[in-house]
Amino acid sequence: MKKEDLLQKLRQNTKEQYDMPDINIQGLTYPDLFVQFREMTETVGGKVVSARKTDDINQLVRNLYPEAKTFASSLPYINIAQKNPDTVTDATDLNGTDVGIVEGKVGVAENGCIWIPQTMKEKAVCFISEYLVIIIDRQNLVNNMHEAYARIDMDEQYNFGTFISGPSKTADIEQALVMGAQAARGVTVIVLE
Amino acid sequence: MSTIHSQRAHEVLQDKEKVSRHDQTFWSVREKRDAMASAVPEWEQLRDLASAIKRHTITHLADYLEQFTQQLESRGVIVHWANDAQELNEMVYGILETHKVTKMVKSKSMLTEECHLNEYLIARGIDVVETDLGERILQLMHSAPAHIVMPAIHITREQVGQLFEEKDISKEQGNYDPTYLTQCARQSLRHEFMEAGAGLTGCNFGVAKTGDVVVCTNEGNADMSTSVPKLHIVTMGIEKLVPDYKSLAVFQRLLCRSATGQPTTTYTSHFRQARPGAEMHVVLLDNDRSEMMANTQHWETLKCIRCGACMNTCPVYRRSTGASYTYFIPGPIGVDLGMLHDPKRYSDNVSACSLCMSCDEVCPVELKPGSQIYDWRQSLESIGSADPMKKVMSQGMRFLFNNPSVYTSVLRFAPLANIVPDAMTRSRKLNAWSVGHTMPQFAKPSFHQWWKKQNKK
Repeated sequence: MKKEDLLQKLRQNTKEQYDMPDINIQGLTYPDLFVQFREMTETVGGKVVSARKTDDINQLVRNLYPEAKTFASSLPYINIAQKNPDTVTDATDLNGTDVGIVEGKVGVAENGCIWIPQTMKEKAVCFISEYLVIIIDRQNLVNNMHEAYARIDMDEQYNFGTFISGPSKTADIEQALVMGAQAARGVTVIVLE
Repeated sequence: MSTIHSQRAHEVLQDKEKVSRHDQTFWSVREKRDAMASAVPEWEQLRDLASAIKRHTITHLADYLEQFTQQLESRGVIVHWANDAQELNEMVYGILETHKVTKMVKSKSMLTEECHLNEYLIARGIDVVETDLGERILQLMHSAPAHIVMPAIHITREQVGQLFEEKDISKEQGNYDPTYLTQCARQSLRHEFMEAGAGLTGCNFGVAKTGDVVVCTNEGNADMSTSVPKLHIVTMGIEKLVPDYKSLAVFQRLLCRSATGQPTTTYTSHFRQARPGAEMHVVLLDNDRSEMMANTQHWETLKCIRCGACMNTCPVYRRSTGASYTYFIPGPIGVDLGMLHDPKRYSDNVSACSLCMSCDEVCPVELKPGSQIYDWRQSLESIGSADPMKKVMSQGMRFLFNNPSVYTSVLRFAPLANIVPDAMTRSRKLNAWSVGHTMPQFAKPSFHQWWKKQNKK
């Protein structure tokens, strides 16, 4: 089908046009963003850990996952990673990663979502890793999705971003909630003070 | 008199335990949705906005489609326009053939059900692997989804366990624990993700201004499907657009709360271009949507965001299950979409409604599924699908109510119906309404006679 034909048909078949409403809405707000964000993250099956910017994040991650052997990250300050999603030949090389470590840019208090723009060659690190650690600055917590969508952007090179809220989950077998469906089995959010 | 829906529902209802479980499961989802909605004080304002934004977008769809596709094309995404299901299937197969793909992983997409894409590709030698757990279970069972959000909810854990043993996905005989079975599926699907040459996803929202394809999942299967293979194909209906991020925020807050009673899906991914070294295609499907826009009474059905809230709340859906409907989308919205698509073919489903209008109250985009079903029923005569027996009865009643003297004398003899043998009035053939109901006793004297007597006193 030609695009022009469809567009013309759509214009012809539109009987009455409606104006765009003024989206002027006061979304939910919270007295303490961090408290709400932590509560929501836990509700969706994630974990929240506070840290100071001066803390050793590498040690912190090791302590969080003492049994993990393979770490993957493209963050310059992570030195425990054996795999780098920027330099692996193929996304499949990241399979078998125990812990992936990435940075989030906006955290949403109302639902525990964290915006992660792709800043690495293979975004698979966000999904393929058995466990995911997301590092976010406390300053970047917002109340709700209205505030989040006003703030997020993407890296021009990759033009991809995702909101992640807790671990991968399913309730497809008799509504029984199971963590670790296809992607991360667990998520820890490190909130930097 | 009875429709295919009522006949199938009759069959389904033979298994009372299964129906009760189905009913309770979806009622609990409805309750979760209510808890979410009541925790958001601006909920009704969000619904009003969502409705108004969709009204605007759909009545400016040509402009928004141009903007959306220009954005995508500016970043190298290849856009295709499919007139109908056949064209979409051919296009997707063409892309796969060009890339010599033999295995394709796929996240949930009701649009591909609409087009029967899987069957088309499998017939041409493509190994199509559904990756949403529920869809995968159904695919292995050669069955179709019974709900648009929770497709395999009618399958028991024992059935899943036995299926997985049969397919060698589960090694532990008799282990029907959902956690164990999910882990088995995870391992099996991991292999598929690694081997697949292409990943296909649907699209929850297309953002016109930025050209984002937004896909929401809880399992992360859409992300696995697009992070490993070098080819990403998106199939989407042309009505999926929203103007910008500001509008998207409204829908994001409504979708998952309405669908499953969660505050959000786990993953909300925004695709604007192919990842490095990969290729991204977007196939836009019309399949009568442009015709539906011209239906002045029913065009707002196109506002639907496929949350499934209308099904979860529907007393008829909950007690007759997805298996009773003749259109591939069940429940109130399925009745409406089927009628828009082919009224003659799908008119059987309009009887699957008690007109309680509960779906009108929960629909996040206020498209009023129940009121639309009512309107469709009024047009059955013009479609040629009106029930002949009901027509005779309506004509009889019109005659009766227009002739007060006849009416009064008929009433006087009405108690005679009380002595008609029960077996006759309860014959399914003669009187479908009598099934499950007891015939009421006509009062002697009639209300008219009683009223006159009271006034004399």
